[in-house]
Amino acid sequence: MSRPNFFEHLHPPTIPAREARFTYTFGLGGMSLLLYLVLIVTGVPLMFVYVPTTASAAKSIRSITYVAPYGWLLRNVHYWAAVLLLLALGLHLLRVALSGSYKKPRQFNWLIGFIILLLSLLLSFSGYVLRWDVDTFGALTVGVNIVREIPLLGEWLYGLVVGGPFIGDATVVRFYTWHTLGLSIPVITLIGWHIFRVRRDGGISHQSLVVSHQSTVSNHPSPISKRRISRRELVRREGIAMLALLILLLLLALFFDAPLAPPVDPLAVPGTAVSKIEAPWFFLWIQALLRRLPPLWAGVIIPLVTAVILAALPWTLDRSETGTAVWFNREGRLAQVVVLLIAGGIILLTMVELGG
Amino acid sequence: MNNYQKIAALLGFVLLLVVIGTVVRQLRQPEIVEITPTLSGQPELCLTCHTGIEEISASHPTEAFGCVLCHGGDGLALDADLAHATMRGGRNPSALDVVQESCGGSACHSGFAEDGRDHIHRVLTSVQGTYAGAIAQTNFAFGGQPDLTARYGIYAVQDDVITTETGVPELLPFQPGPDAPPPLHEFADNCQYCHLTADPLAQDYYYRATGCASCHVVYENDGLYRGSDPTIPKDEPGHGRTHQLTTAIPYYQCNHCHNRGNYSLRQMSFLERDDLPGPDNLSAQEQRELEYYQPISQFTLCEWELDCVDCHTNGEVMGDGDIHSSQTEIQYIQCKTCHGTLTEMPNLVTIEDPEHPAIRSAELNPHYSVAVGDTVIATEKGETFGWVKWDGEKLLETGKVDGRLYEVPLVQGSACQQKPDEQESSYCHECHTYERTVRP
Repeated sequence: MSRPNFFEHLHPPTIPAREARFTYTFGLGGMSLLLYLVLIVTGVPLMFVYVPTTASAAKSIRSITYVAPYGWLLRNVHYWAAVLLLLALGLHLLRVALSGSYKKPRQFNWLIGFIILLLSLLLSFSGYVLRWDVDTFGALTVGVNIVREIPLLGEWLYGLVVGGPFIGDATVVRFYTWHTLGLSIPVITLIGWHIFRVRRDGGISHQSLVVSHQSTVSNHPSPISKRRISRRELVRREGIAMLALLILLLLLALFFDAPLAPPVDPLAVPGTAVSKIEAPWFFLWIQALLRRLPPLWAGVIIPLVTAVILAALPWTLDRSETGTAVWFNREGRLAQVVVLLIAGGIILLTMVELGG
Repeated sequence: MNNYQKIAALLGFVLLLVVIGTVVRQLRQPEIVEITPTLSGQPELCLTCHTGIEEISASHPTEAFGCVLCHGGDGLALDADLAHATMRGGRNPSALDVVQESCGGSACHSGFAEDGRDHIHRVLTSVQGTYAGAIAQTNFAFGGQPDLTARYGIYAVQDDVITTETGVPELLPFQPGPDAPPPLHEFADNCQYCHLTADPLAQDYYYRATGCASCHVVYENDGLYRGSDPTIPKDEPGHGRTHQLTTAIPYYQCNHCHNRGNYSLRQMSFLERDDLPGPDNLSAQEQRELEYYQPISQFTLCEWELDCVDCHTNGEVMGDGDIHSSQTEIQYIQCKTCHGTLTEMPNLVTIEDPEHPAIRSAELNPHYSVAVGDTVIATEKGETFGWVKWDGEKLLETGKVDGRLYEVPLVQGSACQQKPDEQESSYCHECHTYERTVRP
């Protein structure tokens, strides 16, 4: 048998067969990783053309989209990778929550993963704003004014994000730098840590009657399947999933262009510059709340409470140590219900906003 | 090959196909045509798609103006929807609701202090724009106002500088109240499309733009585009003949509004003339004679041999900057303007100022020119007919639309026996009426 190659070396020598099935993980973590790699690979070339000033941002986006060779492809792939990433991360969270994979000793990795999701949302929002057109300008205006609503810290955070009392060149530079460095470097670091913690916490969450720090399952006299697959097998499966995802990504990029709206007209009459205030799709649920509730509640308190509930889930809603890697395990019912309610609420509000 | 390898090979093949698809799309991207007009200094890509579009006019050269300065829109977008979404006035930047932004400004068509040179203000206050005359007449006829002085227009408009005895300071939008008699409501509903802000009927003989382009962009009777821009469909009516502004405005352009039929006060509706297109195989001259005036009209030979703009002046058509209550307050050209009377020659003036309006107007027309030293007709209001020149012995008219030369017969020395105090055109028509030879 040949020696393991680089990709095989990234994995443990063997993996429990049951949990290595696609229908257990749906490959969502791995896909997210691939999508992040795609975002870096497509994002860096975009940085060579993008000009972070109010006067040139929208123009440089048009240079990328219409003039630079394959610029449209880079931008479309970057866009669709970001869309698929948020979907994959959201589904990954659901999978981990509903299969009890956050349980001890994986609570901390759940938290890291959740922070990656939050940072990914901010990365997506900052990327959306960088288009600097009437749609994103409206979202930016709403977004930074929500930041202002945060008690005590609001004004300070507003200055940090906007770079001054008014939205201007400093704001574009701030968003550009947050997007390309300030958020992406922490995310890359956390992804590394997240993957490391998967290995440190005993590999992929798997069924066990005892906590996983007791070395391997094979020593344990349980009825649970002890069958394991080799990492070569796993890497093959991952390779196939990766190919399929790349095909999907390129097909989306080939046939569905990333959205663009008319540039912000600095001479337009105030109030007409923004044709419609449109949050990016992943924040439509907050936009739906903003239509119905005061900004402090809709933009700050509710999202913050939701985030805290989710972040603290392994220490609050389900502290059991059994039921790991069991879809809809009995011990985690409360956590599952809460997560499903939150997910359902976000989906419902998004649909309401899309429909209305 | 094991199953994984088979699946991987299949997916790899599909991936290759998709990659080839991206290469094909890149190869099919249009070749970028970028210009940076000198007046804006901002690059634009419009000509990438609109290759071959006509330059709008010699006084608006593409190198200086480009497209975006007048049209607005997103000049860097090559997606038609995005590029066109923010265009001013849709396809027509001269639409009167956006004309100030598109055509106005300190260096352009509203930027001169003289009332007569703020062309946008002139058109906005003109009877062709306000429709104030017809509204005043109808509103008076049905008891909506005590006299014929204009109070209402299609839109609200003010005039701060009144220079004529008949000018009124402002118009309010015409909206008959709930107590107004039914005919006034019918008039408001049925009859308010005969003015510069209204879209025309979408049918042959009526196609035109709105705003400045109502007159200055020529439409063929079938409304089809005959230019070279590949993006403008050649078989879709409702486009100008070409993407060009002109002062050489042919009679049929005026006829897209005028001479199209009659108004029925009884039915409170417009009754289209029914004698068009007329018999087949007419010569161009016969076609012109048939189309020019509607059957009930009384007219003389020169009135249909020439074009409308050969006699009717800029001031009559675009207004004098005042808000008037009737077309009769602004339309003043008579036969005698060019032909004189038994006792008087037409009024002539010799151009001395190189900035004279006659010279500026001539520069906009491809068919005639005026130079310092030329002697031309001057009207009673001081407008000049730079295209009708006195050469010392005779008056020569150059057709503004086609450059044809005519010698203008003078009444002096002719056999005309008209009484000296009856010199209005209507008296001339008593003898000089032309009988239509072509009958539908």
